[in-house]
Amino acid sequence: MSDTSSSRPSGFHRRAFIAGAAGSALVPLTARAAVQDAQAPVAQDPALPVDVTLRVNGQDKRLNLDARTTVLDALREHLKLTGSKKGCDHGQCGACTVLIGDRRVVSCLTLALAAEGQEITTIEGLATNDRLHPMQQAFVDNDAFQCGYCTPGQIMSAIACVKEGHAGSDADIREYMSGNICRCAAYPNIVAAVKQAATEIMKG
Amino acid sequence: MTAAAPEPKATMGQPVPRYDATAKVTGRATYGSDMPLDNPAYAFLVTSAIARGRINSFDLGDAKRVRGVIDIVTHENAPKLKESKLFSNGGYAGTTIQPLKSADIAHDGEIIAVVVAESYEAAREAANRVKVSYSAATPSASFDSPGTTKAAAKGQNAQFREDPQVGDFAKAFEEAEVKLTASYDTPTQHHNPMELFSTSCAWMGDDLVIYEPSQYVYGLKNGVAEQLSIDADKVRVVNPYVGGGFGSRGSMTPRTAIIAGIAKGLNRPVKLVPTRDQGFTIATYRAETRHEIKLGASRDGKLVALRHEGAEVSSRADAYCVGGTKTTTRLYACPNVDSLVSIVRADRNTPGFMRSPPEVPYLFALESAMDELAVKLNMDPVELRRVNDTTNEPIGGKPYTSRSLMACFDAAAKAFGWSQRSAAPRSMSDGDWLVGYGCASTCYPTQMGPSAARVRLQRDGRTRVEIAGHEIGTGAYTIIAQTAADRLGVPLEKVSVFIGDSDLPPAPVAGGSNSTASACSAVMMVCDQVRQKLFKAVMPNESLTDKAKETVGIGQTPTTQAAKSDRPLDLEKAFDALGASVVEEYGEWKPDGAPLDSFKAMHSGHVRLVGGAALKDKIAYAFGAEFVEVRINRLTHEIRAPRLVGAFAAGRIMNPRTARSQLMGGLIWGMSSALLEATEIDERTARYVNDNFADYLVPVNADVPGVEVILLSEQDDHINPAGAKGLGELANVGTNAAICNAIYHATGQRIRKLPVRLENIEA
Repeated sequence: MSDTSSSRPSGFHRRAFIAGAAGSALVPLTARAAVQDAQAPVAQDPALPVDVTLRVNGQDKRLNLDARTTVLDALREHLKLTGSKKGCDHGQCGACTVLIGDRRVVSCLTLALAAEGQEITTIEGLATNDRLHPMQQAFVDNDAFQCGYCTPGQIMSAIACVKEGHAGSDADIREYMSGNICRCAAYPNIVAAVKQAATEIMKG
Repeated sequence: MTAAAPEPKATMGQPVPRYDATAKVTGRATYGSDMPLDNPAYAFLVTSAIARGRINSFDLGDAKRVRGVIDIVTHENAPKLKESKLFSNGGYAGTTIQPLKSADIAHDGEIIAVVVAESYEAAREAANRVKVSYSAATPSASFDSPGTTKAAAKGQNAQFREDPQVGDFAKAFEEAEVKLTASYDTPTQHHNPMELFSTSCAWMGDDLVIYEPSQYVYGLKNGVAEQLSIDADKVRVVNPYVGGGFGSRGSMTPRTAIIAGIAKGLNRPVKLVPTRDQGFTIATYRAETRHEIKLGASRDGKLVALRHEGAEVSSRADAYCVGGTKTTTRLYACPNVDSLVSIVRADRNTPGFMRSPPEVPYLFALESAMDELAVKLNMDPVELRRVNDTTNEPIGGKPYTSRSLMACFDAAAKAFGWSQRSAAPRSMSDGDWLVGYGCASTCYPTQMGPSAARVRLQRDGRTRVEIAGHEIGTGAYTIIAQTAADRLGVPLEKVSVFIGDSDLPPAPVAGGSNSTASACSAVMMVCDQVRQKLFKAVMPNESLTDKAKETVGIGQTPTTQAAKSDRPLDLEKAFDALGASVVEEYGEWKPDGAPLDSFKAMHSGHVRLVGGAALKDKIAYAFGAEFVEVRINRLTHEIRAPRLVGAFAAGRIMNPRTARSQLMGGLIWGMSSALLEATEIDERTARYVNDNFADYLVPVNADVPGVEVILLSEQDDHINPAGAKGLGELANVGTNAAICNAIYHATGQRIRKLPVRLENIEA
């Protein structure tokens, strides 16, 4: 892996990927289903690695990945950026939320290949020179977490929530932050944090 | 001060921000599956599609052809593991069902194979290609299924020692002026902590390191060593941060020794990150319960008879139960009490502790029944609690060390505006919304366990505290740092805390809300050892009376009254007198009444908690009162809980910020337990149906508009040196009853089965 500022053509071959994906779609998802299904075809070789360059927190990262690798697993398992968390791998909990461009996305449902050429911002990319982003500081001030596992996703989601213009009222914040589950239930403190940071973010 | 940091009252520490706050908001906090491993292999589990029967054969051909597959482990080639006894039976394990041991299947979703591959993607694909042929038998899913067996808990569960009884219940109930008999049901629930049930196992020669979210690193270390038949000193469990526990990580699950065994065989680190749905069957859960309550009272509301019968589901293999009658029979004054707890065995994975294990289901029953009794008596439910308040528990007559139940009721009632309530059901509304107010008591036993700590103080005041505690979101780092800073009189920012590592001095399981009391008492004791050493160096001829020990401080800026010293030591002078630059002390603390083998047990990962109703000549509980407003749409029957207000008294509050957050989260858990959470079981297959975050409903931000937490001052000198009662499991108790009581007030409909969904509302 090396860092480079130029964008590179990907080694990803569409045909190989589609063959792999289609093959996967035909096989049963679990052993439960396998009881009835004796003869599923074997995919050609869906694990053939492909080259991909991801732009993460302002740096280009060249990777050689299984085509099915998600942005989340690329970050965590290949780039050692473990701030983004896996809570369900189904897009149901929001712990893996990152920004792609200005948009908040669940990185567990986004293939790394699909994110090539776009700006990915993770929790590790927010603080500058050890100065916390206003949303991070607001989470500290308002004790907007307990175990902290959902927190990176909450903060990334909260930044987008403010920029989308969805932080105008408590009710709006609650609604537009409801894609991020906090099992410790720090919700009222999260609302207070988003309110505090929204003022600063909109100013600057 | 923000709302998050309440002004401390008497008997409270400072609401300082969390020690680990910056790590948690920057992504630098490292949880189990974040730990870097050298060239790991990735494991993916295959779980059983039947709940009862046998595996005839595997067809692994397709799976093995997947590029990157290293090995597929089934019962035919699994590492040989020793069995471990159940946690609640003196062992380490949350289940004695040991997967991969034979072809037998004991429950749906049991681990039947582990695929190991070069990548996560390959392991997942190969796991999906494993084909299994089963011989399936009809499973028994739950209470009403044919084939279950039911027997009294006493005699089959070592931790369930008594069915509390006093007086003559039958006679008193027969003669009571007002009587109530009612039955209540609570559902299966899963903890669903945010962090998955991962484990990573890495060997260096004969030494094993395990990175795994655990609420008990010493238990896991010793348990895995026992299963692998190796010396416990060879095993180290590391987890500086745990992504939520709620009881699910207190006991060892079978996955860890299996993965450790596979890693040993491969001579390579193995990383397992199970899926969310697998977490429903490879760990524990809160079992469904059923209750019958009988209350007899005089016309003025005084209880004369109380009977609580509970039944709980467990697995065929293990007689797990929570047995909450030890609390419900002692909460109110009542001269004639009877109780019975039974266990029903079904083809299920073994249940386990989930946040306030006994209190959530058992107080739902009692606190609902108290409300029903208040209606029968035409009495305010707060007043019914008041006339039955007591300073001594009724079974053995032992005094509560402190009991602020009615102070909590009065504070919460005032904040809530209870006096605005019109008592008649269906008498309050707002447009299309029926409005109801309800309340309930909460309580939780105060428990402590033996704990060790090491404290190192340097000449410049820098302090290092080491204790194998657990940061599961409770604020353990923070309050341990505060305790050491206060006790030593050093600035808080000079204190470093190391927890979550079984190479550190042992601490109890982070369960039963004992951690604050245990860890802080141990840290205080060892800080005192440090102070004494310096004190003796400076004043070798002066004898250290207990009074002097209490008042000798060593630093400049004590942050609380407790640490303020009338005779502060100058650190430089003290170290000069000592002729050293570092003082390091290790000590082992145990609570009054702890068994003789406490310290030995502590090192071997066995829990020796004391407290609650089990104390010899006293009884120790924290108390609270909870008030809720519900709104039910008269057209759609949608149920909302816009306001939750709780007042709590739990001895010394170490940090009002972290305490408030835990209690706030608890209240939301309580609401959730009433209105949202239930694991649905397919009666035919004994399978959990809604095993994911979309279908297993947990609260999201939009579900909780208003939560208010009131912390009461309470001083209790009879519990532990820290003066602290656990509060992590206090606020989610009784809330479910308060909500059903409010629904009754809004609609006139009494609902005795949880959770309450809009389809359960009749009008």
